[in-house]
Order: sequence, then structure tokens, then C-alpha cells
Amino acid sequence: MRSELNEVYQIDSYLLRQLSEEDARAFEARLLLDDALAEKVEAQRTAHRLIRRYAWREERGRLEEIYRLLLDEADFAHQIKTIFT
Amino acid sequence: MTTQTKDPIIGLYRDCFPDLARMIRRMGGSLEEAKDAFHDALLIYMEKEKAGKLQLHSSPKAYLLGTAKICWLHSRGKGTISALPEGFEAVQEEDDGTEEREQSLLESLVRSGRKCMELLKAFYYDHCSMQDIATRFGFNGRRSATVQKHKCLEKVGEEIRSIQAYA
Repeated sequence: MRSELNEVYQIDSYLLRQLSEEDARAFEARLLLDDALAEKVEAQRTAHRLIRRYAWREERGRLEEIYRLLLDEADFAHQIKTIFT
Repeated sequence: MTTQTKDPIIGLYRDCFPDLARMIRRMGGSLEEAKDAFHDALLIYMEKEKAGKLQLHSSPKAYLLGTAKICWLHSRGKGTISALPEGFEAVQEEDDGTEEREQSLLESLVRSGRKCMELLKAFYYDHCSMQDIATRFGFNGRRSATVQKHKCLEKVGEEIRSIQAYA
């Protein structure tokens, strides 16, 4: 893997708490001295958050689809209709 | 077998939602509110299950009904913070500018690379193995899928930094 990808891997290991305590401390020490690295870590942290946000959005869409499918089932649709009338 | 019968969430939905709807109706809520609360509860359930962190002390149905009720009470401003299920923050939208900012960042990332977002979701959210990801996305084995995952993460990180620099 090229060195940039190794850095992505290392940042991920840090963010996912997969580094040993000693390696994590060494990485944090590097962060204090290297602004560019610190910026990449923050961007990658944001990336993780956005991946999760993307996943919720996709899953919510899937649940809406399931709801619509179930409304096509006479028994399910009847139950729901009866509850709210 | 159809997709409909294979997906266990459909069975859970069919079995649980009418009972939840009845409960929410009795407490004065609407159908839309019941559905939103149920989807919040299902998202928490699925996320924990995928991460291997789902600890059920009763049936999945009891867990979903209990969680959905708490989500609904919270949405009505009636719930206490201590009663919130773990993972609840995951499905709630934030009120400050963060929500809008991150939504717009996400739109841009999806526009420029939906496949990357799908691959990253498969790894970080669905907890798929690299072998499964290689098969699903057509890569030549685990190693190639791993490299592609890192490339995607690098690309997303670069895009975030570039958008934030001009924001």
C-alpha cells in the first residue's frame, strides 16, 4: 500500500481504538506536532460520522419501503386503519 | 423465496407495528408519530444487532415496543434523558447548525461517489467482512477490497477537508 493509504489505515486504527495504549500515546504526540496530520484525523472522524449518517438515511428509506409493502397486505392495512379510525 | 419473506425485519415489522400503533394511539399519538418512533427503535435494534451488541433480556418484540415508546415520549418532550436507550443519539437529528452543515456535506459526498459511500457503509455500519465486500462490489479478493476501502476513505477525507476549507 502506498504511504498515504498507510496513513489512512493508521488514523482509522487510532479512531477505532485499535492501537495499543503505547502506540495511541505515540500517535497523539505526533498529532501535537503535526498540524496537517491533526487536520486529516479530524476529517476522517467527520467521515466516520457521515458514513453513519448515510447508513441511517439508507436504512430509513428501506423501512419506509417495508411499510409501503406491508400496507399492500390486506390484514396489516386493515389493522392499522381500524386503530386510527 | 422472495426478498419479502427473507428479510427478518419485515416479519418483525408485521408482528410489532400494529401493537405499537395501538399503544401510541391510546396515549394520544398519531399514525405518523407511531411510524417515526418505530423506525427509530428499529434503527437502534438493527445497528446494535449488526455490531454484535444487542443484548435482549426479553423478546425482540418487547425490546422494540419498549424502545419505540421511549422514543415517542422523548419526541413529545415527555421522556427523561436517563430513560433513553443507548444508541438513541444515533437516530435523532441535531437542532443546531451541525445538522444542516453535515447534511449538505453528505449530499456532496453522495453526488461525487455513491459507490464509495456504499462500500464504506458495508464495512463500518453493516460490519461486512472484506471477503463479502469483495464479492458484493466485484473486487479481486480481500486485499483489493481493503485497498479500495482505504482509497474511498482517503477520497472522502480529502473532499471533507476541501469543502471545509472553502466553507
